[in-house]
Amino acid sequence: MKSRRSGSSGVVRSPLETGSQSQAKRDALPSVAGGRLQTYDPAGDNVRRFLELLAGRLTRPLTVSLTACVHCGLCAESCHYFLARPDDPTMTPVWKADQIRKVFKRHIDWTGRILPWWVKAGSVHDDEDLNRLKNIVFGSCSACRRCTYNCPMGVDTGLLVRFTRGLLTELGVVPEGVFNVSRDQWETGNQMAVSEQDYLETLEWMRDEVRAELGDDKVDIPIDRPDCDILYTINPREIKFDPRPIAQAAKIFHVAGESWTLPRWGWDQTNFGLFSGDDRLGAWVARNVYEAAERLRAKRIVISECGHGYRSTRWEGYTWAGFDQRVPTESVVVTLKRHLDQGRISVDPSRNAEGVTFHDSCNIARSGDLVEEPRDVLRRVCSDFREMTPNRRENYCCTGGGGLLSMAEYRPLRLEVAKIKAEQLRATGAKYVCTMCHNCIDGLNDVIKHYKLPMKVVQVLELVSKALVLPEKGGRG
Amino acid sequence: MSDMLRLIENEVQLAALAFLGLVYIVRLIWIFRFASRKERTFAAGSQGAGIRRSLANIAMPWAMESTRKDPWLYAQFVVFHLGVAAAIAATFIIPYAPHVFEIRAVVLLFQAVIGAAFLAGVLRLVRRLVNPVLRLISSADDYVSLVLMILFFAAGFLAVPNDIDRAEWPLIAFFGLTAFFLVYVPFSKISHYLYYPFTRFYLGRTLGHRGAIPQGTRPMSPGKDNERTSRPKGDPR
Amino acid sequence: MPFIEIEGRRIEINEEGFLARPEEWTEETARLLAKAEEGLDDLTESHWAVVKFIRDYYLEKNLAPMVRKMCQATGFTLTQIYDLFPSGPAKGACKVAGLPKPDGCV
Repeated sequence: MKSRRSGSSGVVRSPLETGSQSQAKRDALPSVAGGRLQTYDPAGDNVRRFLELLAGRLTRPLTVSLTACVHCGLCAESCHYFLARPDDPTMTPVWKADQIRKVFKRHIDWTGRILPWWVKAGSVHDDEDLNRLKNIVFGSCSACRRCTYNCPMGVDTGLLVRFTRGLLTELGVVPEGVFNVSRDQWETGNQMAVSEQDYLETLEWMRDEVRAELGDDKVDIPIDRPDCDILYTINPREIKFDPRPIAQAAKIFHVAGESWTLPRWGWDQTNFGLFSGDDRLGAWVARNVYEAAERLRAKRIVISECGHGYRSTRWEGYTWAGFDQRVPTESVVVTLKRHLDQGRISVDPSRNAEGVTFHDSCNIARSGDLVEEPRDVLRRVCSDFREMTPNRRENYCCTGGGGLLSMAEYRPLRLEVAKIKAEQLRATGAKYVCTMCHNCIDGLNDVIKHYKLPMKVVQVLELVSKALVLPEKGGRG
Repeated sequence: MSDMLRLIENEVQLAALAFLGLVYIVRLIWIFRFASRKERTFAAGSQGAGIRRSLANIAMPWAMESTRKDPWLYAQFVVFHLGVAAAIAATFIIPYAPHVFEIRAVVLLFQAVIGAAFLAGVLRLVRRLVNPVLRLISSADDYVSLVLMILFFAAGFLAVPNDIDRAEWPLIAFFGLTAFFLVYVPFSKISHYLYYPFTRFYLGRTLGHRGAIPQGTRPMSPGKDNERTSRPKGDPR
Repeated sequence: MPFIEIEGRRIEINEEGFLARPEEWTEETARLLAKAEEGLDDLTESHWAVVKFIRDYYLEKNLAPMVRKMCQATGFTLTQIYDLFPSGPAKGACKVAGLPKPDGCV
């Protein structure tokens, strides 16, 4: 057994930074002035508001997750934070959940109100306590829900973490990166403050690149075309940093003879409301997509490869927005699978000859439905596909989930605990790790770089695009 | 049989049980006052299958990494809770069907189960005291509940022979502890068995709806639309 | 503040590996960052064309340029930019150009 030294807690001691919040107030940004995006008020009675929000927002599933924990500790070894720091009990899901559970026990539950010490009920007393809570629920957890799947009682710690984040977000007690991205998504409709001009120009640019590659001027990336089969929605990262997936999708859709369009507004399938716990933001962003589909009478919404975007747009967004689903909403990987199943595209797996392993994204595998679909596609476009262990719903988080990539102050801890992921990746011996999530790309890239793994991260679209057998010139296309 | 024993194994039990029932009714009303949001998306699986799979989870140790990794701990869980079942059964058998415990084999069986549970309880207490994670999170309720259960098993082990001519004190101790538990349990973590159906129902319903569970039995999304399992509007679930 | 040590020189970087004080950037810093963070032993003229464009854009607009602008200005395709900077335009080229890390999940 490792040494019994009482190591210091890994919880990051990051102060509350409100520089960009102050700037946003000075600039009188519409989302702030309109009360949609909350900022921190140092003179406010934040503790009282916190407790009111806690009481007011509890749902039945949350309440029973708070009461049902028996402190058995089985969740501890399911969490990569604790596995990488086994001498640090503050890295366990149960301890993290207890930080909000104890407040619930103190103020809302029964026994804890009368005899708090008996059940370890406790409260938050000042803004510093709130800040400490912020560091725990934003900085020591990627909300990957691996603990949820390993709890004998069915306590959903991942959900409790998101819930707590939502309370803090409403008070502006958030890491600065969380505020910045929320602000950008409120103000511009997308997470990376991409302007409409940038968006349209990038789409034109990718269209031109695909035309050049295929030697076909009929290739198009339509915008706001009505009555299509597919409304394609993307991650702003594809505009700002790496538009190659747009070109890959356009190429494949063209060859498959797909009838598709992107919307001029409502094209961002990502949703920071999932990470910040802000249902208001979540609702607005998701609704933009759903209404775009209605406006354009699209028959289906397709979501480019993004884990949290898939979970938000396919599943949670409809609940947040109070919007009954009307058209099928699917991941582009399912669209690709359909193309393959229907023979609309031909692929040659020898084009992806080197070892490829698949990383299941938490928001897709544990909070969603797609584990076999990407494998089905990958087996058709790669000739050396290998599973990592564990995989599917038992896979480890890429370590960059939950919005952690936007929170610089938690990066050292994140990279430290990523050693679990690094070992898992290394054991596959694969050259490529494929993932259906943009966040995972960056999370895994950070792991690969930090632990010097000889691997590259790819997405399904890229592998399909590489394996795509183009129809003969003069034929269909 | 002394008056005290007769009272404690019957009237006192019934009163305590009634108290437990009453508090549980209020507790359930309290739980149901919290809202539950309705599902608005097309299904990719089955809510019912998810709920069933989720409820059955505790009986499927191979299905979770945490229980797979430590089969010994799972075995302790089984033994401990079998002891609970046996001990509770005994609190009804002794006053209302005492002839059952005139059969020596039955008494030995109950003692074996309760005795094993006693040992499991002791091991669990050791674990709770020694494991740094559990030490950090455990409350007085956690410790006291476990210690009392261990004493309860000890008393049960001694009480089950129901030899009132030899000594009544094991039975008095046993039923005294039972009565105490009935009053204490609704305010303690021991009520986790009341919450288990709820956590499992809600988790199972959501993950079942999304096709996340049960694993391996859902066919892949077909080549066509993913609405083949959608529920018609107005479906109450 | 963490730092990287390369060729006997110390460069202060923030937690993400980006230059801690962007205003202290020099061409020598770029060369060292490229070596340490991107594994590039040498920066060719093509590399410098990209870096210079990014740096000038940032100094003028206090923003990281969109990838398209990078490609337009330098005449490289996106694939070529990825060939030059394996970590890509944001985490590779912008880092070497001494920019602070761009916001958002990236």
